[in-house]
Amino acid sequence: MELFIQQLVSGVSIGAIYALLAVGYALVYSVYNFTNWAFDAFMAFGAFMAFVGISSLFMPFWLAMILSILLTILLSVGAESMAYRPLRERKAPRLFMMISAMGVNLAVVNIINLIFGGTFRKFPVESVQPIFVGNVSIGRMDLIAGLISFGVLALLWLFLYRTRWGLGIRASAIDIQTAALMGINNNAVAIIIFVITGVLSAIAGVFYGIKYAVYPMMGIVTIKAMIASIVGGLGSLPAAIVGSMLLGVLETLVSGYISSSYRDLFSFLFLIVILLFFPNGLMGKNVDEKL
Amino acid sequence: MIKATFSSIKKFGLFLIMLLLLTSLTLTGCQQEKVLKIGYITEQTGVDAYVGPASIPALKDHVDKINAEGGIGGYKLELIVYDTRSEVTDAVAVTKRLIDQDKVVAIIGPSWSAAGIPIADIADAAKIPIVATTASNVNVTVSESGQLHPYMFRVCFIDPYQGYAQADFAYNKLGIRKAALLTDVASPYTVGLHQFFKDHFTELGGEIVAEEGYNQGDTEFRAQLAKIKESGAELLVMSAYTYKDVGLAAQQAEALGLKIRFMSGDGVFVPELLEMAGPQLEGAIVTTGVSENAPEFAEFNAAFEAKHGVKANVYTYYGLDALMAIEYAIREAVKKGEPTPTAIRDALETMKDVQLFTSKVTMDPATHNPLNKPLLINTIQNSQWVLLETFQPK
Repeated sequence: MELFIQQLVSGVSIGAIYALLAVGYALVYSVYNFTNWAFDAFMAFGAFMAFVGISSLFMPFWLAMILSILLTILLSVGAESMAYRPLRERKAPRLFMMISAMGVNLAVVNIINLIFGGTFRKFPVESVQPIFVGNVSIGRMDLIAGLISFGVLALLWLFLYRTRWGLGIRASAIDIQTAALMGINNNAVAIIIFVITGVLSAIAGVFYGIKYAVYPMMGIVTIKAMIASIVGGLGSLPAAIVGSMLLGVLETLVSGYISSSYRDLFSFLFLIVILLFFPNGLMGKNVDEKL
Repeated sequence: MIKATFSSIKKFGLFLIMLLLLTSLTLTGCQQEKVLKIGYITEQTGVDAYVGPASIPALKDHVDKINAEGGIGGYKLELIVYDTRSEVTDAVAVTKRLIDQDKVVAIIGPSWSAAGIPIADIADAAKIPIVATTASNVNVTVSESGQLHPYMFRVCFIDPYQGYAQADFAYNKLGIRKAALLTDVASPYTVGLHQFFKDHFTELGGEIVAEEGYNQGDTEFRAQLAKIKESGAELLVMSAYTYKDVGLAAQQAEALGLKIRFMSGDGVFVPELLEMAGPQLEGAIVTTGVSENAPEFAEFNAAFEAKHGVKANVYTYYGLDALMAIEYAIREAVKKGEPTPTAIRDALETMKDVQLFTSKVTMDPATHNPLNKPLLINTIQNSQWVLLETFQPK
């Protein structure tokens, strides 16, 4: 039983990080119908900026976090205005945007590699002893990361459902052209979405860096977030969160009770089965109402 | 208008012809200086991007030194370095490029077995000798059917030897009876080493109480570690190829309250591991062929770091070993005639007590493995590598 609870706790803490990333994918996908593959570079960039803030500029953690978020927003909005918007304005097919995103991803990851090198760095924060409940250990950093993740997601929900700008984004998610005809500024919507994406990826990057390590290829994990958002139902925020938790817990349970060597095999097999029965994902909706 | 176009076409044609003449002149000019090209395939990007930066400058320095001394028998050496992106497919592609386009006479690398195994077939087909640096799986030089790859060599010891010595040390010296394995299932290096550990450890009377696995690139090991904690193992054998895996597993083991001694192979013997998880790995055992702390390397290490701003590590040493083996073979080939790839191969196969960077090496003609490499048993004390003892093959 202890083992089961320990695995469940680990699973939820992994799921919380997947959730931040999955929501970022869902947001971009719901409005623009393309997968922002550059997300993984943004995440690594965010982690490296916080790392530099603490280790080279001797900032306290919170200040480094703010620096990281601001710079990642700049990168994210910069990518939107230089790599995506020109394509959108020329009515390029969605597939081309995805390829453009891959290009941004490769460029950013390799520049990080060039500047910082490929070594795995320990994030410069004091490691704190976990809390033990019986024999089950709960990482303090996992708790903090989990709380901040859900706090940010709750704020995002409030923004999307309780503000005029949120309404504008939701309208664009349903039909971007009609929304524009109704007076919604498409470019402003794009900037807001990529600001949110920057915030989410910086936070995910910093917490992932603290939990594991900081290295240029750390963004590979976003493929899991992508899958989580597909299983939940692409384009829906709550679904992305549910998918992430499900994937996190599923992975640890498969490792714990079936086979750790073939964890990904079993996890992905399960996901295929889910998609066979729920082709739009567990909570996926049709075009009527996304987000 | 038409006239103007014609004249510009003419001009352009003339320009082309001049260009062609010029390049052919320079090309013939080049051919007069005899150059032997040596390829080096290494990891500059991707998950193992720390291998290349620590070895490329050392190899370039050594080639410059040879050329400054007048080259070998009138031949200047040229080192061509390509990035494998830490991917097997890219490693294969750049090997082919070195052979087909660059016409190298020998190749250094790769540093990992998963790439070494497919590349061995390429070496045989093209008849270009390749000297692997730290690819230690048996099948890099001898195929699974027991057939020797005539053009594939290595300068490191092989997994059975390392796994065997680890099991011996764990059972006889540390008194361990219950061990757990955490294996990167996609890495022939780790799978091979663990298999030989398991065979010898159980043969001695020990018990493997948990066998867990993970995939390359994984960062989350708590599910496996929680099971290992339940199994009551006294030793966690994790001979990962990448130090990140061991560093992360050690951090996560601490977070789970699992107090266990780690044991790993030479793949993780880099200073960065200590920065990542020094305190968590206190008392861990890591076996290697060379040690950065050996006093004979102190001078080299200091000079290397001062010149290039990178710390030298095992990949630096093994890279130099491979280059010096090829240098020796070229010298031998020149003595007997032309330094053709086949002549270089023949000299590599018969090398005996040749001083390379790390030690004297004798190549076993039957397996193309170095015969008399010592195995060092290291531990971590106060976040520093400490050499415990040297294990000599019987």
